[in-house]
Amino acid sequence: MQRRHFLILGSLLGASPYIEAKAQSAFSKKFENVKSTIAAVQEHMFPQGSKIPSAREMNTIRFLFETVEHKSYDKDIRAFVLEGAQELIDREKGKFNTMTAAEKEKALRGFEETNYGRNWLSRIMTLTMEGLFSAPVYGSNQKEAGWKALSAYGGEPKPTVRYVAL
Amino acid sequence: MTTVKYDVVIVGSGASGGAVAYTLAKAGYKVAVLEKGRLLKREEFSKDELAYCRRDIVTPSLFDEYHVIEERVDGKWESTPTYDSGWSFWNGNVVGGSSNFMSGMLHRMHPDDFRLKSKYGAIEGANVVDWPISYEEMEPYYLQAEELVGISGKYQKHPAEPPRSTADFTQPPTNENAVVKLLDKSCRELDITPLVTPRAVLSRDKGHRNACYYSNFCGSYGCSSGAKGSSREALLMPALATGNLTLKSNTYVKSLHTSRKDAVDYAVVVDTISGKEEKIYAKMFVVAAQAHESARLLLNSANALHPNGLGNSSGELGKNLVFSAGGSGEGELHEDSLKEIKFEELMQTGLFVNRSILDWYFIDHWWDGKFKGGSVEFMFEHQNIISRARKNNEENGKMVWGTVLGEKLTERFTKSKKIRFEIFNDWLPNDNCFVSLDKNHKDKYGMPVGKLRLEGHPQDLKVGKYIAKKCEKVLEEMGAQNVYSSVSSAPPQNLVAGGCRFGNDPKTSVLNKYCQSHDVANLFVADASFMPTGGSVPYTWTIYANAFRVADHIKKKLKAL
Ligand SMILES: Cc1cc2nc3c(=O)[nH]c(=O)nc-3n(C[C@H](O)[C@H](O)[C@H](O)COP(=O)(O)OP(=O)(O)OC[C@H]3O[C@@H](n4cnc5c(N)ncnc54)[C@H](O)[C@@H]3O)c2cc1C
Ligand code: SF4
Repeated sequence: MQRRHFLILGSLLGASPYIEAKAQSAFSKKFENVKSTIAAVQEHMFPQGSKIPSAREMNTIRFLFETVEHKSYDKDIRAFVLEGAQELIDREKGKFNTMTAAEKEKALRGFEETNYGRNWLSRIMTLTMEGLFSAPVYGSNQKEAGWKALSAYGGEPKPTVRYVAL
Repeated sequence: MTTVKYDVVIVGSGASGGAVAYTLAKAGYKVAVLEKGRLLKREEFSKDELAYCRRDIVTPSLFDEYHVIEERVDGKWESTPTYDSGWSFWNGNVVGGSSNFMSGMLHRMHPDDFRLKSKYGAIEGANVVDWPISYEEMEPYYLQAEELVGISGKYQKHPAEPPRSTADFTQPPTNENAVVKLLDKSCRELDITPLVTPRAVLSRDKGHRNACYYSNFCGSYGCSSGAKGSSREALLMPALATGNLTLKSNTYVKSLHTSRKDAVDYAVVVDTISGKEEKIYAKMFVVAAQAHESARLLLNSANALHPNGLGNSSGELGKNLVFSAGGSGEGELHEDSLKEIKFEELMQTGLFVNRSILDWYFIDHWWDGKFKGGSVEFMFEHQNIISRARKNNEENGKMVWGTVLGEKLTERFTKSKKIRFEIFNDWLPNDNCFVSLDKNHKDKYGMPVGKLRLEGHPQDLKVGKYIAKKCEKVLEEMGAQNVYSSVSSAPPQNLVAGGCRFGNDPKTSVLNKYCQSHDVANLFVADASFMPTGGSVPYTWTIYANAFRVADHIKKKLKAL
């Protein structure tokens, strides 16, 4: 199956033209519209008071933005990250961000029931874990908090620059 | 006027290209290595999981360069470009090739691997043939590779362990995690003989290379001490020091040009940064681009003199591609049920497991029958943090998140460690495993991409499953929990061979016994393409050894010119 079809399978948006994210500046603008929703999902997945650092504390939304925005990132997935967030916003009639934790849980579990939602949530989970557990140079494993929580430390030498600069 | 600046041009700087470059540069010949990837030096490597394991910084972007994979789905062949599936067949495309990133578990092939057909007879649906050379002819080169690449180990006599011309390895084995005490004991309980794994990792300093510092991130990562026996560290650096080697990185070879039937004149290359094309002339040409890509390059070099591809009068070019068949399995060693060793010892990072089992290399059993088996390596689960954290976070078909995820991850990382085994057995060559050119897809340099039709032989699965059951018993004896294995016919993309079989008959093989084209006298293929069968061990020691053998022959040819 074509990967794009796989990603959007079951979307409410269906085969509607997907958000174009050709120019980076265009992406930044579109990201602003969905940023708080993606951050809210990350915070629900990685809440405060867990045995691993929280998404909010580690500013994983910034990692997600910087990763996805970069030109080296897969352009289909870049668009998918935006689309999925918009779909969640629409499904929940714009109320997701202001819901209680229990309501968010219900909303996300409902979204997970759809193939599309499941793919999107899985992608957000991956992008958040990449932030929390990658080398500190990427900005979301601050002071190695992610590694400390797992007692698993990246090997030496640690990177001093991000891969995009290699 | 064209100037032939080089005695030899080598396409590809990996394990095989490096061995040829080393031998010829040391012998005083002018050599150029053309490598499409860039040069990453020792000090530039780091243990950056995102960079090396989750992004394509040492392999081409699949939107620029890719393969088309053809698999049988519900009885029909279906083609999928790898940019769609994400199933990359690139293994490391920087100076030194995949050898920079290998785990370095190496074995010599057994003498019987060189004569599989005579020993085990024909198998229906498999194109098994004997090799045109014997183990005895390869042995001096296995030794040369052991010394130069720096393979550490400890020889133990065993029926499946091939004979050696020296008593033991110069480099003693690398340091081992205490888990080997438990593993060895469990094997003995089951009447199995565990052997120390030979490894292309230095346990002692060697020249400009420092001993392993047990970084805990070996396979898939470049080495920051020079301990790993990559082509770059072990061979290209000393070859460069002779002053005879010109290393042209960022140089993609599009094709080899022939204006006469029996000789290549020049390589057509493109600078991957400026896009500028150039012709590079030499007396001899050695293709070492990794098996599937070497066949593709020769197919892409077709012209009126060689309408079906360079050196393809036999029609065998690209055929009989093989991979390493087998599978893997794992189990969890938990703090509360650990036997024999302390949990802190188990959790010590960096040290190798270093154990292989060759007891099932040849099966000759009153009930199970007589057939060729395979080898087994034991190791810990790869220590990558993101991938370990991301794995298996589902319960009752739902993703796990929230505080439950935190509990699950900390428990998994701090209360247990996974031990794995990998099985390597023959991938029987067959008519449905080959590389050809795709008619529709081209890479960013405008060259048709390789189309890989992939299908294994049922026997491969049978052997893999047979061995997997035995290995599961070993893990169970160790007290591991949740033991399981998975044997499938999906090929490991990093262990690939065949496509330019060597043999004595030009009608049925592409290369002669020295890996020289039957059709084009100044053309050699030095990587694993030559292998008609792959043996039941990972290939790279054989790749290194054979490339040294081929280089020795080229040296003689150059001398005679
Ligand atoms: C993660 C990993 C773990 C591994 N572990 C083991 C192990 O434990 N044991 C083992 O035996 N083997 C292992 N291997 C396999 C081993 O690395 C390979 O078998 C070996 O490096 C192959 O050598 P080669 O010379 O054929 O190709 P490579 O080393 O891949 O070199 C080929 C080079 O040719 C270049 N090239 C290709 N096409 C062109 C072109 N058109 N123009 C210019 N340059 C070109 C490529 O960029 C590449 O650098 C592992 C590999 C990987 C990736
Ligand atoms: S230091 Fe040792 S463990 Fe680390 S990459 Fe080098 S050889 Fe492998």
